[in-house]
Amino acid sequence: MIRLDSLGVRLVDRRRGDRRWVLRDITIAVPRGCIYGLIGPGAAGKSVLLKTLAGLLPVEEGLAEIDGVNVGEAAALELEVLRRRIGMAFQNNALFDHLTVSENIAFPLRRLFTPTDDEVREKVAERLASVTLPGYEERLPPGLSGGQKKRVAFARATITQPPLLLLDEPAAGLDPVTSQRLFDLVKREVKASGATCILVSSDLDRLLPICDSVGVLVHGSMLFDGTVEDAKRSSDERVYQFVHGLPDGPL
Amino acid sequence: MALSNASFVHRIGAGVVDLASTVGQMMTLLGRILQRSTPARFDRRELLRHLEFMAIESLPIVVVTALFSGAIVVIQAAPVVQRFGAEGLLGWGAGFGVLREIGPLLTALMISGRVGANNTADLGTMVVTEQVDGLRALAIDPLEYLVVPRFYGIIMTLSLMTVFSDLLALFGAALAGQALIGLSMHGFYNGITGGLIEFKDVAHGLIKSAAFGFIVALSSCHFGLATSGGAPGVGRSVKASVVMSAGGIFALDYFLSFVVP
Repeated sequence: MIRLDSLGVRLVDRRRGDRRWVLRDITIAVPRGCIYGLIGPGAAGKSVLLKTLAGLLPVEEGLAEIDGVNVGEAAALELEVLRRRIGMAFQNNALFDHLTVSENIAFPLRRLFTPTDDEVREKVAERLASVTLPGYEERLPPGLSGGQKKRVAFARATITQPPLLLLDEPAAGLDPVTSQRLFDLVKREVKASGATCILVSSDLDRLLPICDSVGVLVHGSMLFDGTVEDAKRSSDERVYQFVHGLPDGPL
Repeated sequence: MALSNASFVHRIGAGVVDLASTVGQMMTLLGRILQRSTPARFDRRELLRHLEFMAIESLPIVVVTALFSGAIVVIQAAPVVQRFGAEGLLGWGAGFGVLREIGPLLTALMISGRVGANNTADLGTMVVTEQVDGLRALAIDPLEYLVVPRFYGIIMTLSLMTVFSDLLALFGAALAGQALIGLSMHGFYNGITGGLIEFKDVAHGLIKSAAFGFIVALSSCHFGLATSGGAPGVGRSVKASVVMSAGGIFALDYFLSFVVP
């Protein structure tokens, strides 16, 4: 269960040199086993929200809670235990350039558990097959295309089968077929494992059908939090415009 | 005129505050590194990987610099020792200068430009491409995994490279002595081991090299981790790291030359 209550996050604005609110008054509740789609225009604060949940950014005000753990006030050890239960794919992939694809994917497995080499090989091969990248084990990330990096990042985020998945634009740059396969894979795996997933994506045509609920974030404020059907019928012009992808409107 | 003077003073003051802030942040980083320097928290595999990489990376430039710097010392000294008929002192002169000063100093500057700059660029790129956040999200302490092995790797690389560089520089000096004034290798060697150069002279250079390694390691790690602003930010960090390392090396050299016997 993820609970955000009046969450506020401030970050340093590098151009102006002061600290500005990036998220303000965010209140949502994501039940266990739910796929929650987080959508909104660029620079709305979606990635900041995911990083805050992972304890990578400080909570300035309000509450960010995962399974009863207050992320903002958790001690280092408590945060470490929590992070072991989170699988995260970053917008920029965050693949380690000095490690091969298989080493990248196996990294959380090796660092957080003590598997045998055979177990690691088996798991990595299974993950690579699931993201349709078999045979890429020994390649280095700088030699991969943008879409391939995305798939490796997804494979790394899911290799430990974490109970919470935070996926930031996992399908950006993928062709429609691979993108659809990835979303289908997310839905299949999340539903099979009972994990909770917060998924940020601009590909609404593929995202919305797999979501149980959706949140619309605009300029750091959560304009909508509810079911996909309610979002499509929203009376808020900004939510309606964004969900339907209309060129004309207040956004 | 008064305005421009005020502006000048303001800029100087801002620079001093900026420098003090950077040094403060570096000391904080040092504290966090020392806190993680216990054997249990030390990633030895990463240390070995960095040591191997740093040694291979810096080897060519160290070899070239050492051979030529040793030879240059002899080129400058040869006419003088010849004029006074003191060819036997050439080995002592070259050895004294190389072991106490030239070897550690030039090796540190080369390692700073080659390994330190690369370390800053590497860490900076990892910061701006979210790789450091990626580690934290995986419950892995970036300081333990990334910074501590690099920090000690640079200090150890610089110390070991200084020993190697000293030997090469003396070899270069001996070759130059033979070519310029016909001093035999044996004669040059006798000049070094004749009793005028003591163990404390060797230790003086090695203490300096460890101190220079400390400056290069701390500076390159600090500026790498403090990188922001994408690829241009990485370039800015590398520049700042090299400038801080070079300035720190010379300042430290000045003080250590007084303090260390």
